[in-house]
Amino acid sequence: MVVEFFAQLGDHTVRIVAIGATVIGFVAGSLGCFAYLRRQSLLGDVVSHASLSGITLAFILASLFADTVAKSMIVLIPGAIVIGSIAMLFAGAVVRRTKIKMDTALAVTLALFFGGGITLMRVIQTGPFTDRQGLDSYIFGQAAAITIADVYAILALGAIALVLLAVFWKEFKLYTFDEGFAKSKGFSARVLEPLLLSTIVIAVVIGLKAVGIVLMIAFVIAPPSAARQWTHRLEGMVLLAGGVGAISGLLGTLTSGMLGDVPTGPVIVLFLTFFAVMSLFVAPKRGIVFRTVRMRRKRRQLIAQAQLQGETT
Amino acid sequence: MSFQLGIILLAVVTAACCTLPGVFLVLRKTAMMSEAVSHAVLPGIVLALFITGSLDSPLLIVGASLAGLLVVLSTEYLENTGLLKGDAPLGLLFPAMFGIGVIMVALEFSNVHLDEHVILVGDLNVAAFIQLEIGGVALGPRYLYVLLGVLALNIAFVTIFYKELKITTFDTGLAHSLGFRPRLVNYLFMMVVSITITASFYVAGSILTIALMIAPAAAALLLTKRLFSMILVAVAIAVASAVGGFYTAYALDAATSGAMAVFYGLVFVCAFLFAPSNGVIGKRLRIRSQRRRLEREEVLTIEPLEREPLEREAVRS
Repeated sequence: MVVEFFAQLGDHTVRIVAIGATVIGFVAGSLGCFAYLRRQSLLGDVVSHASLSGITLAFILASLFADTVAKSMIVLIPGAIVIGSIAMLFAGAVVRRTKIKMDTALAVTLALFFGGGITLMRVIQTGPFTDRQGLDSYIFGQAAAITIADVYAILALGAIALVLLAVFWKEFKLYTFDEGFAKSKGFSARVLEPLLLSTIVIAVVIGLKAVGIVLMIAFVIAPPSAARQWTHRLEGMVLLAGGVGAISGLLGTLTSGMLGDVPTGPVIVLFLTFFAVMSLFVAPKRGIVFRTVRMRRKRRQLIAQAQLQGETT
Repeated sequence: MSFQLGIILLAVVTAACCTLPGVFLVLRKTAMMSEAVSHAVLPGIVLALFITGSLDSPLLIVGASLAGLLVVLSTEYLENTGLLKGDAPLGLLFPAMFGIGVIMVALEFSNVHLDEHVILVGDLNVAAFIQLEIGGVALGPRYLYVLLGVLALNIAFVTIFYKELKITTFDTGLAHSLGFRPRLVNYLFMMVVSITITASFYVAGSILTIALMIAPAAAALLLTKRLFSMILVAVAIAVASAVGGFYTAYALDAATSGAMAVFYGLVFVCAFLFAPSNGVIGKRLRIRSQRRRLEREEVLTIEPLEREPLEREAVRS
């Protein structure tokens, strides 16, 4: 059973999908930590939804020039990054300039940009676009459609994001935990804020084709949520979250391969959620189980103590 | 009833239906709950569809909204543990529930055909297609009556619990000390939200449902100062935009739900820019006219020595 499970990796197609999903899981999981620590995890959800506008727009524009490359990730991903960033800036502007709170700004942004994406998708489906097949797989994701070129694109973008993270580690860390202190030390928020946000955007968009717009948020939220329960240090958290994401990507791909008809994206998401929920319960010290046991023990001690005092007086 | 009129009525009723609870979602700072619930109801809908076999049975709506309520309760539980930061408790579980729903659809768990694209995009035109006929008279889309029922429920809920909703929304602590039960009110409210989203889901899809719930309420927040007027303005915006959005989509031959969601988004953008006292441009215009008036008055008295502090005052007001 176990041998069969991993023997699937011998298959060329499965291997490509597995590599793609593992890398996506690692990059999205580790970069998701910063969104998590800044309490803005749902920003990732808005970026992923908004990117549909970017993907469709990039496809339409590229079709005007060169029909054959219009569908490749190299063309679509920059579109997703640009529009995803614009959506994020719009939500930020609404919060900064009015009394509207972040949650409402996010919901409105999501409706506006995802609605735009859906509308453009219809334009593509009814318009004179020859190479449109499979473009709608971005909505729900289609891991099986991942090609070797896509894996290279994922690897390249993931590497850029991780290198940015490594280079600006100190700055990101300081800015995430204490924005005011970072500013007072002379680090420019004008540079750091967009840089940090762009790494989150990259983390989200590289997974869109394989996982889909709707479920990508799980890659950004679940691994940091799981990792946070086991460690108090940012270094450990980022690595652990990346690990949880990568393992979920691998296990999810192989499980869905074994089950046949079951789509890969949702299975990976179930693994991610499982790891997060499990961590909440069983993590040492913080975990719910540990805490409940400790509370019971304390209560029993207190009762015993009270009884003891009652007897002595 | 003509087919087109049926669609417009459907859109208008759905809009009014969603906006009523939407106003309170915005004020309670839980607008993204609409996104979470609208995704989480999917497995509930597929399961209920499997049991009842029909999309407009009330049982389905109640059953599916229980799935939505599950997200509400688990979010609250996770928040109370204090183990997760920010909005992670809200975002942790709904993707998994949506994932389960997608898997169920992929495995054709229900015999009734449910296209996964309808889930997100919805289709007003399809929903309007099944007509209710009594004694040979076409009385409009059958689903319209489902939504009218939910609208009646929402109006009744907001009217009966107006006082409770108001006080728990604006001051939970005070509500507690006065003997209101904020948590109970919250559960009831979220049940209503869940029912509304489920009912609207089939007509509008998840994305237009979010737009209907949040965009008019957010625009109304920028235009009004009192709760009651905010509700009225939000419903007016929602209904007017439903008609406007539908005709725009129709004229452009665009995807109905997507284009309507964009229309609602743009209506909000207009409020964001032009709202008289809160909009970006509205604010700037007001400051400028204030400055002019001040300058005029200054001319009559003395030459202004320091202009800077005056401007800052104007911004603050």
